[in-house]
Amino acid sequence: MTDVHRTIDAIWKLQSARIIAGITRMVHDVGLAEELAQDALVSALEQWPQSGVPDNPGAWLTAVAKRRAVDRIRRARRLGDKHGELARGLERQGPGQGSDQDPEQDPEQDDLLRLMFVSCHPVLPTEARVALTLKLLGGLTTGEIARAFLVGEARIARRVAAAKRTLAEERVPFELPRGPGLAARLSSVLEVVYLIFNEGYSATSGDDLVRPGLCLEALRLGRLLARLMPEEAEVHGLVALMEIQASRSAARTGPSGEPVLLHEQNRGRWDRLLIRRGFTAMLRAREIGGTPGPYVLQAAIAVCHARARTAEDTDWARIATLYEALARLLPTPVVQLNRAVALGMAHGPEAGLALADSLAGDPALRDYHLLPSVRGDLLARLGRLDEARLEFERAASLTGNAAERAHLRRRAAEIAAPAVPGPTLGQAVREFLERGELDAGTVRSYGQTLRRLRLALGDRTPLSSLTAGHVARVFAAAWDGTAAATWNRHRSAVRSFGAWASMGHLAAGIERRAGTRTRAGCIDPAQLEALWNRPDLPLRERTLWRLLHESAAGVTAVLSLNVEDLDLDDRRARAGGSWVSWRSGTARLLPDLVAGRTRGPLFLSHRRPGQARTPAPADLCPETGRRRLSYERAEYLFKQATRHLDPAGGGYTLRRLRPRA
Amino acid sequence: MRYLMTHKPSETTPDEKLYAEMAEFVEELTAAGILLATGGLEAGGVRVTSSGDEITVTDGPFAEAKEAVAGFALVEVRSKEEAIELTRRFRRIVGDGESVIQQVFGP
Repeated sequence: MTDVHRTIDAIWKLQSARIIAGITRMVHDVGLAEELAQDALVSALEQWPQSGVPDNPGAWLTAVAKRRAVDRIRRARRLGDKHGELARGLERQGPGQGSDQDPEQDPEQDDLLRLMFVSCHPVLPTEARVALTLKLLGGLTTGEIARAFLVGEARIARRVAAAKRTLAEERVPFELPRGPGLAARLSSVLEVVYLIFNEGYSATSGDDLVRPGLCLEALRLGRLLARLMPEEAEVHGLVALMEIQASRSAARTGPSGEPVLLHEQNRGRWDRLLIRRGFTAMLRAREIGGTPGPYVLQAAIAVCHARARTAEDTDWARIATLYEALARLLPTPVVQLNRAVALGMAHGPEAGLALADSLAGDPALRDYHLLPSVRGDLLARLGRLDEARLEFERAASLTGNAAERAHLRRRAAEIAAPAVPGPTLGQAVREFLERGELDAGTVRSYGQTLRRLRLALGDRTPLSSLTAGHVARVFAAAWDGTAAATWNRHRSAVRSFGAWASMGHLAAGIERRAGTRTRAGCIDPAQLEALWNRPDLPLRERTLWRLLHESAAGVTAVLSLNVEDLDLDDRRARAGGSWVSWRSGTARLLPDLVAGRTRGPLFLSHRRPGQARTPAPADLCPETGRRRLSYERAEYLFKQATRHLDPAGGGYTLRRLRPRA
Repeated sequence: MRYLMTHKPSETTPDEKLYAEMAEFVEELTAAGILLATGGLEAGGVRVTSSGDEITVTDGPFAEAKEAVAGFALVEVRSKEEAIELTRRFRRIVGDGESVIQQVFGP
């Protein structure tokens, strides 16, 4: 990059959000607005190297983008009502100011806030919200976002494109949510900002522990939001939380990149400026008052740590109380685990361990390395060193972060290994699987079961110390919700292993389950009714789900339907050798979904297939080039949409849409 | 990245317009989460010099007051270019004179 290009890039990053926000108000389409702003950027890249950077580059870019928007709107007007939305945009626009503005509010700031709400709209999947927010509000390129998240650039580009398309298809309005809808929409924005921060702060993958770029983006978004919505306590709470967490960035990694735990950090390296900003934000949140929400509570905990001059000064009793309040709002196992740490510090390791042990069977924490890591810590303080060492080793095998793994291994190594009586679980499993008497399929199947045992109980646990109780607990946490056949398959793997190891009692605590396939019941009618009436669901999903419900047909059959098979008048379609028929709910939706198409798959994926993965011609739409929606994707979307309805938390399968016979 | 921007006293006498533009600029940068701290500095100040065991404290103003720093801004940005761009905008508001941009390391 030349100097001018670097300058242009810097100007773009500082100004693009405002430009895009202003243009979106004119054209009512975020995707189009970004395109027009990008056009202005391209003009700058062409002209500025020769003409020099103009005096006020931001105003220059805005003017060019606005001119293009006006051209677009005029053209749309000439084309008649097809782009009626655009034409109306110009009327509403007037010379430089929208007529629907609140005169009290700075229109430019309002546009930025609208842009934020649109980028974080619940109609988009979380990952798309994150990418779109970084792109539109942070001014990052797809390449920069991809590098920050360690994924391919093409994937981010697709994610952003799909998000823009969804926003256009769903006609998400460019407006500020008001009234009762505001809280939910705001919490979606806060979630996205905090997700970006956490991805930067506690890199979940890769070799670096912190990716400061993402933390900085999140902090800036948070500070911006606090200016735009000064009356929302949770916004200030989130900002306080991020400022204080970020204040510890330098102190939380050691010289060779290893993590340094909070109570071992050199507090002199905490950034006092950020701490002070955090305290200020916290004060604002307190001034607003009301019942503290989850971000305010988490910030209050962070404030407790920031206030303590030394680790010993920490007010753990207060932190434990705050976690208790937080657990009432967010009763997640991770919050409980943090509470266990606080209890352990405030009231002794037994208190903490009791709570941590009660979480051991929670399926959500099955592969969460911090559970064994916390238990290891508490066990070590109780002098139960052998158990502690095993927990640290288990934690090391579960974490995906290299620096953290090294740290956990070191903690395990600090506790000298005792003479192991006989083989360890890991050795025994390897020997069992590699003795050459099993066929490949069995090795794979048994391997899956035994790998779970090793992860849950620790590789170096002496085989002889294993009890039926241990195994039963692993089974309950890992496979309790699975089909009987799956459960029994895992059971026979353990029985076979136990017989080989002359420990026949190992499977004694696991009952064989009745083999009749019990299909999960259908979804409660009230929940279905609520689902049909949800305004934020894409048309394709609404149609598919209604059709599945009304027709009682198989998922594969419904997904295989083609447009040319539909008989819209008789409300039926031929699928293979039989008929799929529907009622009025589907009939209302189908014409919109077909939208003038004459043939090809009825339910289309939003993506065009990659070059390497060309589907069969029958699965490709001849008009749009898109591919047939896959069972996996359809199932995933339904699970996502119904996760909050499902008491088990995983979301419902499509099959459960079928009404009971 | 953090940068400290310092500027030396300007020839221009500040008027209403400059104050208004400046206030708007500071507001914009604060709202965008970029400006962490800013302030003006008294002319002169106190000078403390050490030489061997000796510490000398001298009250200002000093003859070379024009070279002294008159104000500062601490900003958090993504690149040096962003810091330069912000300083460019600042200079356009305050008129002729000189600013220095330095990256801040630590704490």
